[in-house]
Formats: sequence, C-alpha cells, structure tokens
Amino acid sequence: MSWPLYSSMMKSHAKMLGGFIYGAVAYIVLIIWIYPSIADMKGFNDMINALPEGMRKLIGMENGINSLADYIAGEFYGMLFLIILMVYVILTSTRLMARLVDQGSMAYLLATPNSRLKIAATQAAVIITGLALIVAFTTLSGIAASEWLISGYELDVASFVTLNVLTFLIFLVIAGYCFFISSSFNDEKKALGISAGLTLFFYMLNMAGKLSEDTEWLLNFTIFKLYDPIKMINNETDALLTGTMLVMAALVLFGGSLVVFKKRNLPL
Amino acid sequence: MINVKKLTKRFTPEKGLFDLNFEVKKGEVFGYIGPNGAGKSTTIRHLMGFMKPDDGGSTINDLDCWAKSAEVQKLIGYLPGEIVFLEGMNGLDFLNLMQKMRKQNVPQKRDELIERFQLDVKTPIRKMSKGMKQKVGIIAAFMHDPEVLILDEPTSGLDPLMQRVFIDLILEEKQRNKTILMSSHSFQEIERTCDSAGIIKDGRLVALEDIHSLRTVQRRVFEVKVKKESDVETIRQSQLQTEVMGKKTVHITVQGNDQEFVQLLSHCEVEHVDTRPQDLEDIFMHYYDRKEVVK
Ligand SMILES: Nc1ncnc2c1ncn2[C@@H]1O[C@H](COP(=O)(O)OP(=O)(O)OP(=O)(O)O)[C@@H](O)[C@H]1O
Ligand SMILES: [Mg+2]
Repeated sequence: MSWPLYSSMMKSHAKMLGGFIYGAVAYIVLIIWIYPSIADMKGFNDMINALPEGMRKLIGMENGINSLADYIAGEFYGMLFLIILMVYVILTSTRLMARLVDQGSMAYLLATPNSRLKIAATQAAVIITGLALIVAFTTLSGIAASEWLISGYELDVASFVTLNVLTFLIFLVIAGYCFFISSSFNDEKKALGISAGLTLFFYMLNMAGKLSEDTEWLLNFTIFKLYDPIKMINNETDALLTGTMLVMAALVLFGGSLVVFKKRNLPL
Repeated sequence: MINVKKLTKRFTPEKGLFDLNFEVKKGEVFGYIGPNGAGKSTTIRHLMGFMKPDDGGSTINDLDCWAKSAEVQKLIGYLPGEIVFLEGMNGLDFLNLMQKMRKQNVPQKRDELIERFQLDVKTPIRKMSKGMKQKVGIIAAFMHDPEVLILDEPTSGLDPLMQRVFIDLILEEKQRNKTILMSSHSFQEIERTCDSAGIIKDGRLVALEDIHSLRTVQRRVFEVKVKKESDVETIRQSQLQTEVMGKKTVHITVQGNDQEFVQLLSHCEVEHVDTRPQDLEDIFMHYYDRKEVVK
C-alpha cells in the first residue's frame, strides 16, 4: 500500500462514493419508515400469495411479509441495494485500473519507486474501503431507523448485521472479478462492458434459475445463488461456511488481479 | 548508465523494435530521433519497465528495467510523451502526490522549477493548456533531482522562450553529471544539448554517432564564382566533387577535405564564395525520408 496514493484516491473518489452512500441510506430509511402502513394493510399477504410461486421467489417474497426483517431483506437487499452495489462495484473497479491505463495516468504512478503490486494493492484497497463504507452506513442507518423511526416492530440486530456482512462479502467477490477484468485490459470501455456483461449474465441466470424447478440447475453457475437475503436474515444459511468461502474467493480474485497486472505489458 | 542490448519487441512482423543496441554513459546526453512511429516511445516504455521485451533487454545502472522496475525508478525522472495526469487535481496537488509517493519532502527544487517555468500551479489540471501540462510534467521529472532523466519529446507544446529555459535546464543538469536520454523532433534542441544521437527508423537503429563526428562528416556545398573561365576548368580537373552551374559558377562539395578545397581555390581568382548554412537537419533528413527504407 502506498498511503499517499490511497488518500489521494479516496479524496477524488469521495464524491461518487458519497452519492452511493446517500442513495442507499435514504432508501433504506424510507422503506423502513413506510413499513408500518404496509404491515397494517389487510390483504397484502393474500395478494402476494395469489402470485405464482416463481414470481414470489423472484421478488423475494416467498412467504409474504411476516416481519420487519423479511420486509427489509426482500424489498431492499433483494432488489435496490443489489443494484446499487452492482453499479458501484462495476464502475469503481473499472475506474481504478483500466481507466488509468487507458488514459495513461498510470504511467505517473508507476514512474515512482512503488512496485506494480503495491500500486494495484492500493487501488484494490480503495474499492474495498468504498464497498465497506456503503454497507456500514446502510447497516447503521437500518438499525437506527428501525429503532427510532418506527415503533412496535423489532429488528434483530445480530442477524441484520450477519446479513450485511454476507452482502459485503458477496459483493467483495463481485468486486474481485471486476477488478481482475479491470487489471487485465487496456481499454476502459472493454473492461466496463465485460464486467457489466458478466455480472448481468450472473443475475439473469439467478432469475431464470428461480423461475421453476426445471431451470434450477442454472443457479449453480451464478454467484447470486449464495445471495438469499431472506434466508440470511433468518439465519437459515450457514453464515460461517458461506462467509469463509466468499473470503477465500475474494482473496484469490484480488491476488490474481495483482499478479496479472504485475506481469503484463502496459501501453503507457 | 543506460544500456540497451538486443532489445526486440514485435508488435507485428514490421512494427516494433528490432535488435536495438545502444549505450548512454554516465554524464552523457543522448538524443533519440526518428520519424513518427519509429519506436522512440516504445523504447522508452521498455526503459521504464512498462513493457516486457520479447528478446534482449535494457538496464539502467546495471538493474534490469523490467525485473527491477521499482528500484530503477528511484534513479529516474520521467517525462511521458503523452502527458495525462490523475483527474480532479490541480498542478500543486499532483506534484505533492508525486513527491510523497517518492517519500520526498524537500520542496526547494520543485519551487525553484515552478518559478523558472512561470507556472501557475493552482490551476486545475483539466483547465490547463498543453504547454502548462508540459511544464507540470517537466517539473515532476526534475524535482527529485534524479541521476537519470528520460524525456519523451520534452519541448512539445512549449513556446520558444520556454524551450530556451528548458535547454538551459538540460545544460545545467549535464554540468552536474546527470545522464539524460531525450527523444525529440527538434534538431536545434538536439544539436545544442546532446553529446551523441541515435537515429531510429522502423524499429531499427540506423545511425549512432556522436554529435561532433556528425559535424565532421557533414557535407557542405560551396558556390564559387571565379573571374576567368579557365579557372572553371582548373576546378573541374581537381579531385573534388564539382558541378558547373554557369559560365563562371561552380558548386563544390566538401566533406572533411577542407584543406584541399582551400588549396584549390588559391590557384584561382575567386570573385565570390558562398555556402548555405547547414545544420544537423541536413544530415538527419536523409534518414527521415520514408522511401529510403524500402530500398
Ligand atoms: N502496444 C502496442 N501495440 C501495437 N503496436 C504498437 C503499440 N505501441 C506502439 N505500437 C506501434 O509501434 C510503432 C512505434 O510507436 P512509438 O510510439 O514508439 O513511435 P514514436 O517513435 O514514439 O513516434 P512519435 O514520434 O510519433 O512519438 C507505431 O507504429 C505504433 O503503432
Ligand atoms: Mg512518441
């Protein structure tokens, strides 16, 4: 790690990161705030139950809304947060490596006595920090909002934190392969296109896999198989095992990125 | 100090670098010239450790430029051919970042250079003109007082006054025994600063000479006007390469045989001698002509 580079990158990155944090926080607070009115609405669950099973799975409401936890996990973590984090991770990973190589400013970073490994590790630290900050702020505001904004509904903090840690780790892996792609290409647009394409492809596999039993096998080919917010918040998954696997995968991907970047020709 | 040995990089069979060999000794200024797309920047990228050679390699101070690139960078000040800085910074932020990344905190030389190039460092980089960016790049290359300077077209975008400031800077660094390699399209700049020059064309080094010997092999054409037609005959009889231009006018080509030339003229009644002032450009132009290579 090169600290001067890290702090300079964080500074120039702050505006965009702030935007994402603001978006995530505002939305989770809003969604928690309107929970009481939805929970009190008679017939909401009947309506949900009337939908075909595949559809219910898709929108993350297999069993309707039974608790605040289910609601947050399904409505926010199952949809919007997923998209926010996907966009953040894809954009940021591309900006941190491929863009600098494409534009040529990487030449200046490598013209200092810092090795390529060190420079790439610093850039990786920037995206990991950013991701951690988004998730951390969201967690805190989720807890705060359910505590103070609404009354009469309990959110189990421990399992909510578990959900967030696992969410962070899933996206750490996604960030890992995006960063790997970003470290391997000279063309910013190509890196962006491939990262976005691959992630979207995984997401579609996930949707297709959840539609019916015939297509379930597709889930084996997507990282999103591991991402089931409702099960996670209800502690129905083996968090420790999943977490360990994700950490290992992330280590391999980020490590691989550094090695690829160290070994390759740069057209600077 | 800088050693390039059998450096080969094949982008395509004709494009790239092919078996490049040259050396720049400590304290020497080396001019690297050649037409667009010849491979100057590609050579420099290898010296910076950005590219891995297919064959051969280069060393700076006996450190391999690819394998030991981070260590090599401690010695080098680098000015890229196409300068792009990090986004969202002003000139001073950028220079500060570079200094910190080099673990350097003596601002004297930096401030002296800013003063010298009359740069307004507080301007955001994206609002800078080409010349201003070039100045930031030059300052970034020189401010840590490196042993070796690698400069890719350093004066591009600078106004004539600033070009002069730059040349003075190079001459000063040369006095201080710094090793400099610079690519350039400006013959005047090379002529005034360099000890030796390498000429590259289509990825191959076509000439490697020191500037003084380039000067001595320089051809000069004299236009001599004599008073009597018989003198023209005398001149034509001589060993020198001559060409009769008019009744009493002859062009005599001199290349290293000035003595003979003067002796010859002493036998004639000369009315007028004229020579076109030539510079290195005349020598280099010969290498630059694209069609030459096809032969
Ligand atoms: N990464 C690359 N991949 C393929 N070809 C390349 C690459 N980099 C450079 N080239 C080609 O190699 C040749 C040499 O390019 P280079 O940039 O070294 O030229 P140059 O001598 O610096 O020219 P100029 O005077 O215009 O700066 C060019 O034909 C260029 O297209
Ligand atoms: Mg060039």
